[in-house]
Amino acid sequence: MSTRVVVDPVTRIEGHLRVEAMLNGSNVIENAMSSGTMWRGLEVILKGRDPREAWAFCERICGVCTTVHALASVRSVENALGITVPKNADLIRNIMFLTQMVQDHVVHFYHLHALDWVDIVSALKADPVATSALAQKVSPHWGLASEGYYRDTAATIKKFVDSGQLGIFQNAYWGHPAYKLPPEANLMAVAHYLEALKWQKEVVKIHTVFGGKNPHPNYIVGGMASAINLEGDGVINIERLNLVGSLINQAADIIENLYIPDLLAIASFYPEWTKYGGGLGNYLVYGDIPQNGISDVSKFRFPRGAILNKNLNEVLPVDPADLGQIQEEIAHSWYKYPGGQTGLHPWEGVTEANYTGPQAPYKQLDENAAYSWLKAPRWKGNAMEVGPLSRMLVGYASGKTEFKEVVGAALGKLKVGPEALFSTLGRTAARGLEAQLCVHWLKQEFDNLIANLKAGDTNTANTVNWKPETWKAESKGLGFTEAPRGALCHWIHIKDQKIENYQIVVPSTWNASPRDSKGQHGAYESALIGTPMADPKRPVEILRTIHSFDPCLACASHVIGPDGERLAEVIVR
Amino acid sequence: MTVTIGLVSDAPVLVLGLGNLLLLDDAAGLRLLEDLSRDSKYAEEDVEFVDGGTQGLALLGYLNDRKAIIILDAVGLGAAPGTVHLLDSDEVAALGGRRATTSHEGNALELLATARLFWEDPPRITLVGIEPGQIATGIGLTPAVEAAIPQALAMARKVLAEMVQAYVPCHTR
Repeated sequence: MSTRVVVDPVTRIEGHLRVEAMLNGSNVIENAMSSGTMWRGLEVILKGRDPREAWAFCERICGVCTTVHALASVRSVENALGITVPKNADLIRNIMFLTQMVQDHVVHFYHLHALDWVDIVSALKADPVATSALAQKVSPHWGLASEGYYRDTAATIKKFVDSGQLGIFQNAYWGHPAYKLPPEANLMAVAHYLEALKWQKEVVKIHTVFGGKNPHPNYIVGGMASAINLEGDGVINIERLNLVGSLINQAADIIENLYIPDLLAIASFYPEWTKYGGGLGNYLVYGDIPQNGISDVSKFRFPRGAILNKNLNEVLPVDPADLGQIQEEIAHSWYKYPGGQTGLHPWEGVTEANYTGPQAPYKQLDENAAYSWLKAPRWKGNAMEVGPLSRMLVGYASGKTEFKEVVGAALGKLKVGPEALFSTLGRTAARGLEAQLCVHWLKQEFDNLIANLKAGDTNTANTVNWKPETWKAESKGLGFTEAPRGALCHWIHIKDQKIENYQIVVPSTWNASPRDSKGQHGAYESALIGTPMADPKRPVEILRTIHSFDPCLACASHVIGPDGERLAEVIVR
Repeated sequence: MTVTIGLVSDAPVLVLGLGNLLLLDDAAGLRLLEDLSRDSKYAEEDVEFVDGGTQGLALLGYLNDRKAIIILDAVGLGAAPGTVHLLDSDEVAALGGRRATTSHEGNALELLATARLFWEDPPRITLVGIEPGQIATGIGLTPAVEAAIPQALAMARKVLAEMVQAYVPCHTR
């Protein structure tokens, strides 16, 4: 007898993802499928448009990361047209990038992922006195930890639960035996959840300062649109920069004194999750945070490289411009390539839908046929994982001191070796450690900007080659970045001053990819295999591993409506 | 811990447009926002217009310290495409309680549910929306939704005028 667990949609993610897991007789996952069930093909919208406007459309792709798509887009056009941006533009882009990274990682941990480990309902049973003592032990440098504070927090949660409108807290498996935290740890985590919520709405003001507006900040091909005048009014002046400085300090406080202690405390209750969820063992990073312009890859804070088969002794060179390295395959995807090719490099990429799946609603998908709206990107034929774990491993394996320090400290506290990183918990921990590095870098990039401005350089944009008359008849470029969820690249082909082709490979396309022409699993699929499930009807184990990747099936639509959807279905056959 | 130097206006009335510009009728709320803000006769310190796109919790800051909020969005209640919906605070809350937290989704509903954790004095909320015909890759509204824009706009204008009357202090009006 085999059991098939269908989770559709996977909750607390951006976008629409379906997972099917096949269990053996002992309820261990022995095979899995990950399917993006909504057609997108946003590249089609960009064809024929002015390349200088592409960023504004790209900013609308994703429900979370507006800035990273804008950044990748302007970089692709600059790369195609041979434009070098001024130093201030790189610094401001780095500051916006790091702000996004820090905000997104905290939001993911507390608001999307923590509920896989923290039982809200159990928190109601906590003793506020004991919770206060626990909190002072776990987070000694965080001010809010009194008994009264925890009494108030418990009252807030109770009011919320009693109202029957659980909102963000619904659709979790409260009371599931896989939840291991004592009530006091649960209450502490919920209180910190609320603190993180309050904080995250402040920190995004950094985007408003530099991008002119939020949540859709302004970018420009050639630099940044931010006008800087330290003495001025209504532009970026010293007062606004001081605000940024204080927001960065708050971010450091949240990460050092709340996020990291909570992460380590929660992780210590779930040691078995260092054994499950590792998956592919192949990691890909394009690199980012340039220190000497985007073309000097050797000076990135996030080093570029690939790791295969968990081999931390070798970091392989990566070139996203090499037609032979990155290819998108479609053997198990609802697309067709006109020449019948198995894979195409994004510069040659084609987005032509070819739905051959069953009519909705359907019971199950067929892993031997096409089963996803996502293509299957591969690096030199290998399925790869992208994201914080990949970045931390490539940094670590490249011998970078900063990476070795934060990773070493966390492994020491949890009393585990580096092999523990190849797991669900390792992925979740890597995101926290990355946030720690990023907030530290954020301070440095900000200090560098201030120093450069005080030295008299206020230039933020290079307008040479702005006019299409100066462009070659035809050019190609690519713009990469390391989005919070992983390696992101936009490939552009410009012809006669218009966009001829535009292809985007987002991080979740790597991670959520279906099988390829050789039948190799994508990262989510691979990570699920081997995980035992306590109760297949309440698949919290599947959510833990899938959420550890921070899935984003880019480009949420936004219709408000009451269609209560089925969340998990189990088919026994 | 709140720091503001005019980056987020503290206007008592917020008009929040939501939707994805790249998914046909999903953009109905953004279109209403554009039309409503273009001919607004209200001062910035009284009424703030925000294009929220498809952002979720990142918009939480905009909901703080408001007396009244109008949300403009595509609303799928199973009616004919182009049907204009007007929902008050309780009706919006009732939708949120029944719905899965997916994200093709009621990000907006999740956002409001989360905001309720922080509101001591909840603002009046009115949702003006249009039943979408087609949510698919593309820019522009389908004919039925396009035809409903004037009616929805008139409704939103009326609600906005009432909110300003009720919540904006006389000396600034």
